[in-house]
Amino acid sequence: MKSSLWREHVLPFTLLLGLLAAATLAGDYLLHRLNLVWVGRYMGIPGTLLIIGSLYYSARKRKWVSRGDPKSLLTMHEFGTWLGSLMVLIHAGVHFNAILPWLATVAMGVNVVSGMVGKMLLGQSRAHVQGERERFQLRGLSKTEVEQAVFWDAVALGAMTQWRKVHIPIFVVFAVLALGHILSIFLFWGWA
Amino acid sequence: MSRTLKIILTLNLLVLAVLTFAYPHLMVGPGKLIPGHKQLDTDCFACHVAFTGVASPKCASCHKPADIGRLTVSGAPVAKPLTSVAFHQELISQDCVACHSDHAGVKRYHFKGFFDHSLLKKQTSERCQACHKAPADALHQQIIGNCSQCHTQQKWTPANFAHDNYFALDRDHSATCVTCHVGNDYSRYTCYGCHEHTQTNIRREHVEEGIRQFNNCVECHRSGNKHDIKGGEGRHGEDREHD
Repeated sequence: MKSSLWREHVLPFTLLLGLLAAATLAGDYLLHRLNLVWVGRYMGIPGTLLIIGSLYYSARKRKWVSRGDPKSLLTMHEFGTWLGSLMVLIHAGVHFNAILPWLATVAMGVNVVSGMVGKMLLGQSRAHVQGERERFQLRGLSKTEVEQAVFWDAVALGAMTQWRKVHIPIFVVFAVLALGHILSIFLFWGWA
Repeated sequence: MSRTLKIILTLNLLVLAVLTFAYPHLMVGPGKLIPGHKQLDTDCFACHVAFTGVASPKCASCHKPADIGRLTVSGAPVAKPLTSVAFHQELISQDCVACHSDHAGVKRYHFKGFFDHSLLKKQTSERCQACHKAPADALHQQIIGNCSQCHTQQKWTPANFAHDNYFALDRDHSATCVTCHVGNDYSRYTCYGCHEHTQTNIRREHVEEGIRQFNNCVECHRSGNKHDIKGGEGRHGEDREHD
């Protein structure tokens, strides 16, 4: 039976993304239930620090820094941004107050999804589609028949490639909007 | 990133920056202001001071503490006061945001219906009935003054008075408060308020047992159970008449 790209790669990815959504809702619910809504108010700070810390991998990848094992840093980047995003999402809650922080949240969401696609799915999916092509070729199918057989997988792979292209620009958007939100908090909030 | 993408990105962010300065209440404001402050929607610094938050003197420039609860900012009498008495004049300091938040998004973090009584001047905080009406239930109708005997100023319930620590009110002692606490004076009690205990029969029963000190009943009797007499033997021994 032909193994599906959707079942083997996209579905687990979707579940991991769903876990982020479920954890956000559960965290938000618990904070409300335990009368700790104020905690959510400050969760944006550790969340942002986690995301900033995880950017060390991006600097290492671009050789701006030379210390650290890239593989371990990638794992830290994935975990740090996932957990940081969870904290920021709980911080955002389901409260539509101002446009700027919400645009930042949306940009962060797109950033997380594109990052997960780019880093977690793309390599595996590319190998999967190539493996499928080779398997069909070995069975004696013509090139056209092979392309027809892997058509939907190739479409999914193409979409993923586009997602990866989104990752850096949307990060810039997220960073600028988040900075705007943070600056506005410093400007208007009374920390004393 | 391609040069075109960088230009598009920069232009978009610039538009957002312009929108933020043009419509700060929509872009960065944490929710709508209360209806009374609607005209201040786009003037953040009418209330805020840069990097230090909301300044109480700015609030007081319109809401004069002496008039709050009595007169509106235009000087007219308050038609429908939110509280039965004006109490802002009795606060120890002016820290408006300790209780008030004008933005809808900030309001949800405030404890609704909670007033920190420690913000009141001491002599005011001891006069509960200056602000509060006594509950109309049968128990509270019997009590006059001094709410702090049972309640704290942090929470009305749970009341911290456990009568069992003094005397267990079993079914034989399910009496009204004034039966024992004459004149609702809870610093005193008497066991002679009911038909069962009279000075004569109590005296007789105790003298028969050789007990002379029996004015403070609850010192030995913490319930109506005749067999549950605390410190009984020792006290009895001390106070017994010796033949």
